Amino acid sequence: METLNAYARALWESTQERLFFLPPFPDQIDTLALFGLLLVVGLLAGEWLRARFGFPKMVGYVLAGTLFGPSLLGWISVEALTQARPIADAALGLLLMEAGRRLDLRWLLGNPALLRATAADVLLSFVAIYFFAWLLVGLSPGWAAATAAVTMASAPAVVLLTVEESSAQGQVTERVILHTAIATAVSFVLFALVLGFVHAELSADWINAVAHPLWVAVGAALIAWGTARLTLLVAARLPKRSLAQVFVLVAMALLAVGVARMLAVPVFLTLFVMGALLAFDDRRQTLAYTQLPEAHWLLAIILFVIVGASLPWREFTWLTALQALGLLLVRAAAKTGAAYFGNRNLPPAKRLWVGLGIQPLSATAVFMAYEIAALYPEVGRSALLLPLFAAAIMEIAGPVLCRLALVRAGETAGDGEKKGGIA
Amino acid sequence: MSEGIGEFRESQPLTLGVELELQLLSRRDFDLTRGATDLMQALDYDERFGEIKLEITESMIEVSTQPQATVAGIAADLAGLRETLVALCRRNNIALCGGGTHAFHRWPERRICPGERFDAIYQRYGYLAKQFTVFGQHVHVGVTSADDAIWLTQALGEYVPAFIALSAASPFVDGVDTLFQSARLNAVSAFPLSGQCPPLADWADFLDHFRLLQDCGIAKSIKDLYWDVRPKPEYGTVEIRVCDTPLSIERATALAALAQSLCRYLLRERPAFDAEGLRHVARYNKFQACRYGREAQLSEPAARRQRPLREWLDALLVTLAGDAEALGCGNWLRTLAERGAPSDADWLRATWERERNMNDVVRTASERWMGEGDAS
Repeated sequence: METLNAYARALWESTQERLFFLPPFPDQIDTLALFGLLLVVGLLAGEWLRARFGFPKMVGYVLAGTLFGPSLLGWISVEALTQARPIADAALGLLLMEAGRRLDLRWLLGNPALLRATAADVLLSFVAIYFFAWLLVGLSPGWAAATAAVTMASAPAVVLLTVEESSAQGQVTERVILHTAIATAVSFVLFALVLGFVHAELSADWINAVAHPLWVAVGAALIAWGTARLTLLVAARLPKRSLAQVFVLVAMALLAVGVARMLAVPVFLTLFVMGALLAFDDRRQTLAYTQLPEAHWLLAIILFVIVGASLPWREFTWLTALQALGLLLVRAAAKTGAAYFGNRNLPPAKRLWVGLGIQPLSATAVFMAYEIAALYPEVGRSALLLPLFAAAIMEIAGPVLCRLALVRAGETAGDGEKKGGIA
Repeated sequence: MSEGIGEFRESQPLTLGVELELQLLSRRDFDLTRGATDLMQALDYDERFGEIKLEITESMIEVSTQPQATVAGIAADLAGLRETLVALCRRNNIALCGGGTHAFHRWPERRICPGERFDAIYQRYGYLAKQFTVFGQHVHVGVTSADDAIWLTQALGEYVPAFIALSAASPFVDGVDTLFQSARLNAVSAFPLSGQCPPLADWADFLDHFRLLQDCGIAKSIKDLYWDVRPKPEYGTVEIRVCDTPLSIERATALAALAQSLCRYLLRERPAFDAEGLRHVARYNKFQACRYGREAQLSEPAARRQRPLREWLDALLVTLAGDAEALGCGNWLRTLAERGAPSDADWLRATWERERNMNDVVRTASERWMGEGDAS
């Protein structure tokens, strides 16, 4: 690859002596060109896996990213990944906003069994992963808590896209979405607290230990509140469900993503809170019926290709892989147990399908792990290999398990009835 | 006895039973959702108010009262069924709604309920089965003999427009105003055995007719007859099937009062009716009632003229007042006569004018049915 690059550069520069209008040899691929390439490669891989093996398309997007990313072929460089990060942030932000809009507290409060199930899911998952990481893997309490905060929740992006792709409807689907939204909300709160623990553990810096979590939590809340209020204010002047409202929703989400990036506040947290506020504050159903446009699948493809390319396969060791598998088993037992024994007003088989449907672990966890790891790069990266590998395994298995649960529950549409997804 | 039709089981005269088909909605956007089998699996109920059962697609659920001697009994059963179902739906985050059609759902997205009978209907009628995701009220009235059942089935034919106009609650289909008061019946009329029952002299004549349908491969059981009014031998009743499911159980109860009072009047007076003449105008009169509701113009073949349905209906309600009082349901019948009270179709249109959004129209109708929000 490097030889080819050097040859092309030499040829270009020799031509440049005669054709003065030529620009300098482009060292980096243009962002739009990169966007186009990632899109096509991810799309083709997703469609092929879907047609050949019936896998969810997300698996194909992740595998394409993994194959072409820095860990394997290297066609997507680390620089290109940095360059594409705003697109991934936008994609994840939109999906997290949608997850926040699905945080249905009215249903939760009206159904004690569901409240028990989601509370048990959150509590058991965190505790089980924390003790596994601390006692069995040997992480310090701070990093064990970080690992648990990052991996306890299901992946909202995977769950929402799988539901949409298979046009699933029913009690298993609704409960998988609610479990995911609740666990995501709690994991974000714990994530902010864990930032303080990590500071305290690694630098004994009490100012940062207090100020950083506050900055993250208050910053995200303020940005989310401001953009949500503005969104509702503008959308109220437009016809409900109109294209104009869709544009306002997307534009305001991008505004929130941009402001969060400017202030180093996690995008996923900000957008999730924004989505939740949009749902709670919308007493006149201004935006309640407005859905994301089909085009969000374009961004989702890019997101999963980038996540796939970001996975740390170069640092693979059998030990870490085994530990990650152990974490996933402990997590699976906690989640399935909570879903089974909590959702008492569902038939037993459906409780199991809920447990299976909430297994995905994905983009949000990866981004959260990198966010924490970036605080203390010298130790953070290695300390967080465990959640990153767990996420890497579930990037492939998660969508398959979620889809399997929805299909077995009989809640997916026949081929003629599908409206979600692409193609 | 013809195969496919059981013995006619005589029942107490003028006993009532009401069936309502209801909409199951997503609380997120108030579109129809897949929920019927989930609800049935979660149902823990002793059937004290009647049955709750599946219908053809997963977005519908049917409730049916116990047989009741009085309209008050029907009102109590419907209230109990509503309360049971509303609690069940709330636990499962599903909204419940009346009305003859869903205002904006897309029929290709509907899913057929599991079960041999539903699958057979889907295989037989194809997409019509999914388009049959419309919601009606059926009223059963008990009769003491099979011959009376056939006579009443015929005699009630003339009054079909009254039931349609008074129950009309389906002005919207596919997100647009159809200009009909009851668009639901257009979905029913696509089925080959829908419409008016043919002129029949008595039960024996009916059995002959049914054997003909069987021999020609047209019908297998009485359930294949989608007539506006049909005998129901296993219940010992005559079933009136043209009403839209109203937006409230109060209107559904009032329609049961109309059915009971009318049947009492007909069986008591045995007025002569022109079955042959009615055959020529029945479809037109039905169309008029569906299209215009109370503003319809009915054709009277004997007098060779048109008459406003409103005028004919007012006269009918006056005629039935004595029978209603005798049955103890005069108060319910009077709610149908009240001038100025909008029909359910008019209420839905007024809600659309106010909200300018179909999701909100369905949400408001659902709140009215479930007893939530301002609409109740």
